Amino acid sequence: MAKRYELNDSSVVVVIGSGAGGGTVANELAQKGIDVVCLEAGSRMTLADVVNHPPTMDARMGWHDRRIGPMVWTCKTVGGTTMRWSGITPRIQEHEFRALSTYGQLDKGTTLIDWPLTLEELLPYYDRAEDKMGVSGTHDIPPSAETNNYKVLKAGGKRIGYKEITSARTAINPVARAGRPGCQQIGFCNSGCAIGAKWSTLYTEVPAAELTGHFELRPEAMALRINHDKSGRVTGVIYTDANGAMQEQKARAVCVAGNVVETARILLNSESALFPDGLANSTGNVGKHYMRHTFAQAMAVMPKPVNYHRGTRQSGIILDEQYHKPERGFAGGYIIQTLSLDPWNVSAWAGGWGMSNTAFTDNYTRIAGIFITGEDPPEAGNRISLHSSERDENGLPVPVIEYRDHPNTLAMREHSLKMSRAIYESLGATEFTGSDIPVGAHNMGGARMSADPDAGVTNRWGQTHDIPNLFVSDGSVFSTSAAANPTLTIVALAIRQADHIAERMQAKTL
Amino acid sequence: MNDKQMTRRRFIVAALTLSTVATNVPGLSWLRASAAWAQAADDAPGPTMSGLVRALFPHAGMPDSTYSEVTGSVLAALASNPDTDGLAATAERALDARRGKPWVDLDEAEQVAVIGEIQGEAFFAAILGTVRGTFYNHPLVWEHIDYPGSSKEHGGYRTRGFDDIDWLGGDA
Repeated sequence: MAKRYELNDSSVVVVIGSGAGGGTVANELAQKGIDVVCLEAGSRMTLADVVNHPPTMDARMGWHDRRIGPMVWTCKTVGGTTMRWSGITPRIQEHEFRALSTYGQLDKGTTLIDWPLTLEELLPYYDRAEDKMGVSGTHDIPPSAETNNYKVLKAGGKRIGYKEITSARTAINPVARAGRPGCQQIGFCNSGCAIGAKWSTLYTEVPAAELTGHFELRPEAMALRINHDKSGRVTGVIYTDANGAMQEQKARAVCVAGNVVETARILLNSESALFPDGLANSTGNVGKHYMRHTFAQAMAVMPKPVNYHRGTRQSGIILDEQYHKPERGFAGGYIIQTLSLDPWNVSAWAGGWGMSNTAFTDNYTRIAGIFITGEDPPEAGNRISLHSSERDENGLPVPVIEYRDHPNTLAMREHSLKMSRAIYESLGATEFTGSDIPVGAHNMGGARMSADPDAGVTNRWGQTHDIPNLFVSDGSVFSTSAAANPTLTIVALAIRQADHIAERMQAKTL
Repeated sequence: MNDKQMTRRRFIVAALTLSTVATNVPGLSWLRASAAWAQAADDAPGPTMSGLVRALFPHAGMPDSTYSEVTGSVLAALASNPDTDGLAATAERALDARRGKPWVDLDEAEQVAVIGEIQGEAFFAAILGTVRGTFYNHPLVWEHIDYPGSSKEHGGYRTRGFDDIDWLGGDA
C-alpha cells in the first residue's frame, strides 16, 4: 500500500509532477520496485469533486500562479493536465521525427533539429502507452461512439474529398475496460471526466503506483528548486509542503515533469555557484525552443440542430492534412479535430458584440466546431525565462513566456481555416468564424532532446546532457512539435525513460 | 424580498463559490465576486444599463424581464470588483453624452451607432467582458438558447441524443 519515505532517504527517485509524464514515469518505476516520491503542487481531488461547470473546475484544478506573457492552460492538481485534456491520441509520424532533414531550416530564425530517436524505436512504447491509456481503435478496443459534432465533421470532410476520417484514437473508454467505465457522453471533458472514462493519472497511474508499496504521493508539495553536490549530481528537491513549510526530500535521481513552463522554472531557479545559469543549462538551451502548436478553432452555424454540447468534446479526427505537402505553402501538417464550447466561450470566441456575435449564441443548438492542431517550428526566441525582479505568489521569480507565431504557423492556420470553412459550407452552413486560440495548452520544448549537446538540454532518454541523475519527463523534451496532440508521446517517452532508468540502476551506472 | 429577488440571490450565492478563477482569462473578472454582489443586486437596474446589455447581446424573443434580471447581476459583478466598480456610471455618462439626449431615447440603430463610437474607450472592454461572462453563465439565458448546462446528474447523453443527428443523409 501507499508508503511513506523519510525526507533524508536518499535512495528514492523524486518525480516532480503527477500528470501524463510524471504520473507515468513514477508508476512505471514503482512497478519495477524502485522507490519513488512524487511531489505534486496541486491537491488530490476525487471524481466526486468533478462538476460540469468549467469556471468552477478551472478554479479547482487550473494553474493560476502569476505568469507573464501569452496564456498557458496548465493544471495544478493531482493528475495534472490529464484531468483537462480531450483525450486525442494520434502518434507522431515517421517524417516528423526528422523535421530538419525533411523540411530544412525554414529561415534564420527557426531552430529545427531531428529527434535523436526514430518512430521505429518508439513503436513498442506507443503500443504500451495505447494499451495503458485505452486508446480507442487499438488493442481490440472499439472505435469511439460518433457524436453529432463528429458526424457533421465526417460528412463535410467526405464532401470535400477527405479520406482519412476516423473515430479511433481517443483515450476515452468506449466500453468499460481496466477498471474504468465506458463513456456516458456527459461532455465537459476539459473540466475533468466526472466518471473516469477518460484516461487520467489521477485514477490510473497514481493509485496503481500506490499499490506497489514503492510510491508516495505528496500533494500540495510545490517544488521550488533542485539541490546538487560538489560533483554536480542532484541530491534532493526543496519544496513547500501542504502546511507551507519548506522541506527537502533527498533523492538518488530526479525526474522533472512540470509541464514545460514549470519545468523550465525549476531548472532555471536552481542556479548555484557551480551552475550559475540554472541546472542543465550549460549550453543556454533551458526554456528555449518553446512550442505550442499551430492552434485554430472554427465554428459554423449549420442548417439544422447539432447539439454539440451533448457528449464528448472529441470522438474523431481527420488526418488528410497531417502530411508534409509544401505545395500548400507551409512545412509540416495539421490534424482536424472537433471542438464544442459552452455559450460563454462561444460568445467570447465569436468576439465583439451585437448581432454579429449573437448570430452564434442565438443558434447555439446548430453550432458545429473544429479544433486544429498542427506543427509549429521551434525558434530560440520562443522561450520561458525568469523575470529578474518580479515575484509570484510563492516568492519565486515569475516565469516570462515569450511566443510568437512563425509565418509558417500563420500560413498553416490560414489554410486550416479555409478547409474548415469548406467542410461546413459543403453542408450548407449559414455562419462561419475561425481564429487563433492564443493559449498554450500543448506546451513542448524548453528542455529538448538533441543528439548534439549544444543544441538541446536532454539526450534521447530525457536525461540531461549536463547531469546524469537529472531527467526531464514531460513535453519539454520534444525536439520538435510534430502535429499530433502531445500526450500519447509524452506517455510513451515516460515509459521508455522508466525502462532506461531501471536498466541503469541495475547496471549501477545511475 | 420577492421571488425574483430570491432567484437572483440564489444565482449570486452560487457564483460566489467561484471566487478564485484565473485573472488572466479575458472576461473572467466577473467571477471575482464578493459580498457586495448581494447588496447591489437588490437595487433594480436602470433602463440604460439594461438597454446596453440588450444592445450588446441582442437575442430575438428574449423578454425584457430576463435582460433586467441579468443586468442586476452585471451591476453587482461590476461593483464587486475594484477594477470595474463605478464603470456602470461611466458607461451611462458616455452613452448619454453623444446625441444631446438620453441614450435610451434613441432609436435602435442610433443606440448601436453610439456604442460603436465608445467601444474604443478604455472602460468598454471591462464592461463588455463582465456583461458577456454574467450574461452567458446565467440560467435564464441558457434556458432561452436551449443550453441545458450540467449533464452528469442526468447520466450524460448516452441515451439522450448525443448521436441523434438525422439530417446528414448519406453523408453521415
